[in-house]
Amino acid sequence: MSTAVDASGDKSTKETTLALIIGAGFAGVGMAITLLEQGITDFVILERAADVGGTWRDNTYPGVACDVPSIAYSYSFEPNPNWSNAFSGGAEILDYIRGMVDRHGLREFIRFDTDVSDTRFDEGSGTWTTRTTTGEVFTSRAVVGCQGPLANASLPNIRGIDSFTGHKIHSAKWDHDYDFRGKRVAVIGTGASAVQIVPELVKQVEFLKVFQRTPGWMLPRSNPSTPGLVKKAFGRFPRLQSLVRQGMFYGSEAGAVGLVWDTPATGIVRRAAKAHLTRQVADPWLRHELTPIFTPGCKRILISNDYYPALQEDNCQLIFWPIAEISPDGIKTSDGIEHRFDCIVFATGYDVSKTGAPLPIFGRDGRELDIEWARGIFAYRSVAVSGYPNLFLTFGPNSGPGHTSALIYLEAQINYIVAAITMILEQNLRYMDVDPVVQADHNVELQRRLANTTWNSGCSSWYLTDDGFNGTMFPGFATQFVRQLAKVNLTHYNVVGNPSPDGSPPQLVRDPAVEVLGPQAAVVRSAT
Amino acid sequence: MSLDLDRTLTTIKNRQWVLGDIDWDAPGAELVPAEQRAKLKDFMADLMWIEFIGARGFAAMAKKAPTETLREIYRYFHAEEVRHANAELALMKRWDMLDGDEIPQPNVHIRYIMALPPTFEDNVDFAQMATAIPMLETALDGALLKFLVEEIKDPVCHQVFAKVNNDESRHLAVGFHVMGLLGAGAVRRSALEVFKILVSLRLISLRTIVAAFPLIPRMRLNLEKMGMDSDRILHAMDRYLDAGDRDPDVEKGREYRLTRRYASWLMGKNPVLYRASDIAIQLANRIPERQYPPLPSWSSQLTHTPVA
Repeated sequence: MSTAVDASGDKSTKETTLALIIGAGFAGVGMAITLLEQGITDFVILERAADVGGTWRDNTYPGVACDVPSIAYSYSFEPNPNWSNAFSGGAEILDYIRGMVDRHGLREFIRFDTDVSDTRFDEGSGTWTTRTTTGEVFTSRAVVGCQGPLANASLPNIRGIDSFTGHKIHSAKWDHDYDFRGKRVAVIGTGASAVQIVPELVKQVEFLKVFQRTPGWMLPRSNPSTPGLVKKAFGRFPRLQSLVRQGMFYGSEAGAVGLVWDTPATGIVRRAAKAHLTRQVADPWLRHELTPIFTPGCKRILISNDYYPALQEDNCQLIFWPIAEISPDGIKTSDGIEHRFDCIVFATGYDVSKTGAPLPIFGRDGRELDIEWARGIFAYRSVAVSGYPNLFLTFGPNSGPGHTSALIYLEAQINYIVAAITMILEQNLRYMDVDPVVQADHNVELQRRLANTTWNSGCSSWYLTDDGFNGTMFPGFATQFVRQLAKVNLTHYNVVGNPSPDGSPPQLVRDPAVEVLGPQAAVVRSAT
Repeated sequence: MSLDLDRTLTTIKNRQWVLGDIDWDAPGAELVPAEQRAKLKDFMADLMWIEFIGARGFAAMAKKAPTETLREIYRYFHAEEVRHANAELALMKRWDMLDGDEIPQPNVHIRYIMALPPTFEDNVDFAQMATAIPMLETALDGALLKFLVEEIKDPVCHQVFAKVNNDESRHLAVGFHVMGLLGAGAVRRSALEVFKILVSLRLISLRTIVAAFPLIPRMRLNLEKMGMDSDRILHAMDRYLDAGDRDPDVEKGREYRLTRRYASWLMGKNPVLYRASDIAIQLANRIPERQYPPLPSWSSQLTHTPVA
């Protein structure tokens, strides 16, 4: 058997670990904890930054928060009775992640400032060789991609963007040293980040202009603080919090009826959003500009109580004209006006990987994932890709929910992957590689079901490729997603065993299907 | 008429211009003499506001168009009409027609059209609007701009309208392309649309209908008042009909035929229509100014300054 990587080991003498995890964000940390729970310590986590937390470490813009209630946006096996509010701010979520890391002593498994440059599978040995940008080499029997879907952000491709002589800030790389007081500031974008940034910025700046391309549907949110008594009760009776989580889960599952498919329930969402708009915006013209034309759910639903009021502050203006170009002094819009700014804030989202691989990954026979995914990403049940044995993905293709917490989906993936890695270990598999036919069937079925969803109803969004291919979202209830990952079914894989230590030929697989921690695991699995 | 809309959108994006591209203080303003300025002021104000009628049409079509590309094109057209209005305001400023930051007021007809609630267009069928907007653009915008270019010697005015005309020619090219795509609709559908429009008229006041209806005849009168050939508008309408009749796909369209009927009544000076519009103009003129509906909130964003 292999042993854990010695943190001080030199570059050429690394031993083979069982698993290598890329990324120490929400996914990587959950992955590591679950491996430890199964008694597996033979893994290493490579983290490109100097700290844990992923997107919650990077996103520190004013107002950063999660638009999913914290009780659901957390791991069932790591309940936190002390969430200060129903919806948590970014700092509190980062604290939660750091708390998990400390409690489970994960730092000793993490190699910080270690950025993966590529990873390559060797069929003969059944191992992955992962190289880093600093020339380090790691070998492992399995690789788990926990690099996250919202990890990379770049400035948008707007004409003249490089000519701007003022200050440029991307929401995901906030500049805390910049003093906004007395400044004229532009915010480009009106998505989930922008609706959190605008209400905060408007309090600081002299004048704020918000550049909108398409408005989104917005629902109100109440964010009560958690009463001390409730915190105590949750701390004392974790099952109580677990029950609340279950309640939220089934509540949001009901919401899927209106958000995932265009049904009469979608009309209810539309009416609720319109009522919210009417309540907060008196001017019918502004209301008209803020009313989306697409089906609710087609783009991510926004949640805010203070965005619309902020837009109506005296020092704020919504600009809905197309941007003609960015000039040295500001932004020129198609109504013929140049708006001058000291600073432009780009709340334009992330480079969500919808085509191509997140990093260079080479599978069997030298095949390259980036080439196979050039037209759109696809996988087997979001976690594995045929031709890339023992490679597992979190937040993989078609694993995005539009109606509930992504953490529910993530936890199901983690449970599945840990079960698969356990199999590799216990059954001494050289590799397990998804059957291409099974994968193809799965994707035909997925795309057939996606055709009827709101996401594919005709708006352009970050869910779709330029060709309109949907490789990001799962067309169904969270219950269905969790259920499809409830078993690692080896009959869906081409499995090759390792020879036994005594030299006898590889054993046939003993146990073709292993149940993952129970079908309800992702929702209610408890640490207690 | 075949048009690659994706390429058109790229062209539109590449041809954006802003007020700052023009030197508003360049010599030539003196070529517009004082007596011409006095006559021109109301005309320019109306022209500027007529841009907004087109703008509102495009804004509504940007929400209704069947494809993403077309929606994006109309989003630009919407902004471009506002750009034309801003440029015309800047010309007025150049010719000393504005008192400070005053926004000149439109005539009563435009005033009532502008006051239609923003949801009004939502009730009008896309096909109907896609057919009517090119008609308004050729008849009003086109004719009035042509008049200005012919009558005014200021080179900056010519520079502005060369740019405006370039934009407008793209608006018309897309307009006729879309009319061709609409093709022949069933009579039943047209009847349903007319019914829907009638139902939506229920939402607006009788006064609005009276005031909005005679816009084109009124603009004709305005030209007459300035001693110009008032048939110019009608000739412009001719151009619309020529282009429409030439294209068999457009010619088949029900909406086009309806619009053509209306245009030919106007051009043939149909006595019933003329009597009706005369009466409507007189009635509208009797509406006291203080009872005019308020201007939409966005009109405060109108500006003659290139930099905001």
